[in-house]
Amino acid sequence: MPAAAERLAVTGELGRACRPRSEQALIRGAMAGSEADLEALFRRFWPRAYRAAFLIVHDHAAAEDIAQEAFLAAIRRLDRFDRRRRFGPWLGAIVANRAIDWARARAARRETLDEGADPASPPEVPAGRYSQEVLTALASLSPEHRAVIVMRYLLEYSPSEIARALEARLKEVER
Amino acid sequence: MSAATRRRLREFRAPDEVGAENRTWRVIRSAYLDRRTAPVRRPRWRLAVAPVLAVLVAALVLSPAGASVRRLITQALGEKHAAPALFSLPSPGRILVAGPGGTWTAAADGSTRRLGPWPQASWSPHGRFVAVASPDQLAAVDPHGTIRWELARPGVSDPRWYLPSGYRVAYLSAGTLRVVAGDGTGDRLLATGVARVAPAWRPGQPDGPYQLAYVTAGGRVVVRDAGGGRIVWSASPGMRPQELMWSADGRRLLVLSARQARIYSANGARVSTLALPRGDTATDAALSPDGRKLALVLGGREVAVAGARAPAPTIRQVLAGPGVRAVSWSPDGRWLLVSWPAANQWVFVRVAGVPRVAAVSRIAQQFSSGGGRGFPQIEGWCCTARGQAG
Repeated sequence: MPAAAERLAVTGELGRACRPRSEQALIRGAMAGSEADLEALFRRFWPRAYRAAFLIVHDHAAAEDIAQEAFLAAIRRLDRFDRRRRFGPWLGAIVANRAIDWARARAARRETLDEGADPASPPEVPAGRYSQEVLTALASLSPEHRAVIVMRYLLEYSPSEIARALEARLKEVER
Repeated sequence: MSAATRRRLREFRAPDEVGAENRTWRVIRSAYLDRRTAPVRRPRWRLAVAPVLAVLVAALVLSPAGASVRRLITQALGEKHAAPALFSLPSPGRILVAGPGGTWTAAADGSTRRLGPWPQASWSPHGRFVAVASPDQLAAVDPHGTIRWELARPGVSDPRWYLPSGYRVAYLSAGTLRVVAGDGTGDRLLATGVARVAPAWRPGQPDGPYQLAYVTAGGRVVVRDAGGGRIVWSASPGMRPQELMWSADGRRLLVLSARQARIYSANGARVSTLALPRGDTATDAALSPDGRKLALVLGGREVAVAGARAPAPTIRQVLAGPGVRAVSWSPDGRWLLVSWPAANQWVFVRVAGVPRVAAVSRIAQQFSSGGGRGFPQIEGWCCTARGQAG
């Protein structure tokens, strides 16, 4: 985690404490107008949000958009955020649902566009340390089931949290 | 799932995580600052307009059901503050308008000329010709309205000339993108499955390469070589694009969506994203001729200007009024022309040097003909065509 925000988050303004500030403290600070707290919150949750989106949609540009949109939605709703809830699962649910929507929309486009007109040829993928084996394994699953795997093993949701976040979609899939 | 696969999943790293994180942080920070402190910097001249707008808002709130919004607006702001006709333009050049009353040009001295009945039009790079479109026809006319060539095609819209030479014209036809030479020959299909968003030529050398940006029906932005048909790059801007604009040097492509403006480099890398203030949507936008500033119409109620090159630009409001529709830059980049159908006015706003506002009323009447009357669309202030900062 780079920058002054992280230093503040870890050491506190006077360098007294050495433990990271709690999620609730960062949210309170961000709601009160602290940009440093917002940055610390963002840096803490961004990597997993982006990875989760990428693992569901398998397109890095779309994953960046999805995670970015999820954070923007979170910022816009910050004033109404229930501080008793955990920020991570709330954000993760937004990311997962948006990623599922995107993956479904892409599948529909592939069905409707003829081959010659399909412009889905993304530029080269930036280098990253990721496992092709993981991507290949997930590729055989539906977007909803990818989301379940990602939420359980990457975002570390409990089964009941996954059920709440994806309940409607899973019922839809089962039908 | 095996323990090894779970471990790999936990250790998984997506491509370009740090780059994506830093790009997104700039956007998030910008949105957060906008949320914390809504745009406040207002030009001095707005102090004079504010009481008028207060009257307008009060009038709208207190109006009886069914009252004419247009009447209220013109009572509060309209005719007594605006010139009754277009006597001159505040900056050199010619304005091209099109709409229910046909296609017209307005010269710097205020004189107007009707070129024909077409509801859509676009300047050629140097203003020597105008590409005009009706639902079943594409044509090129000279400034006197004489037709030089024409093609019959279904569902024609959004013709755009290649800059700087005008050797090609791109247009949409019934969900397809087509390209024709500037002399009307060699018309051919370039892409299918295309959204109803005006294509934008990347400014380049007079004889190409001809690169064209357009939006697919799925909302993807594609830049394609119009010569060979090869896709140069494509990107998913997240939200559905509604306008494409190249900078005059062809180095930046701006993709406007309802909630954000995203800028790409010529090779498809994302340069920056301007997130709009909370709750705002962009209904129109125009890049300044030098590509440094972006004028936006927000929510159909205000016009704002933002830096187009800063990573997290701030948005400065320059005009407020319910029902503003579109914005266009003067060729020298010093004035904005704002179309305001609800007040039946054009408003010229000087955004360089000392702020100034000049309004012209009765626009629909001035650009009407026997067959049609309605508020026209601004298609370009020559030689800055919509879709390209020229």
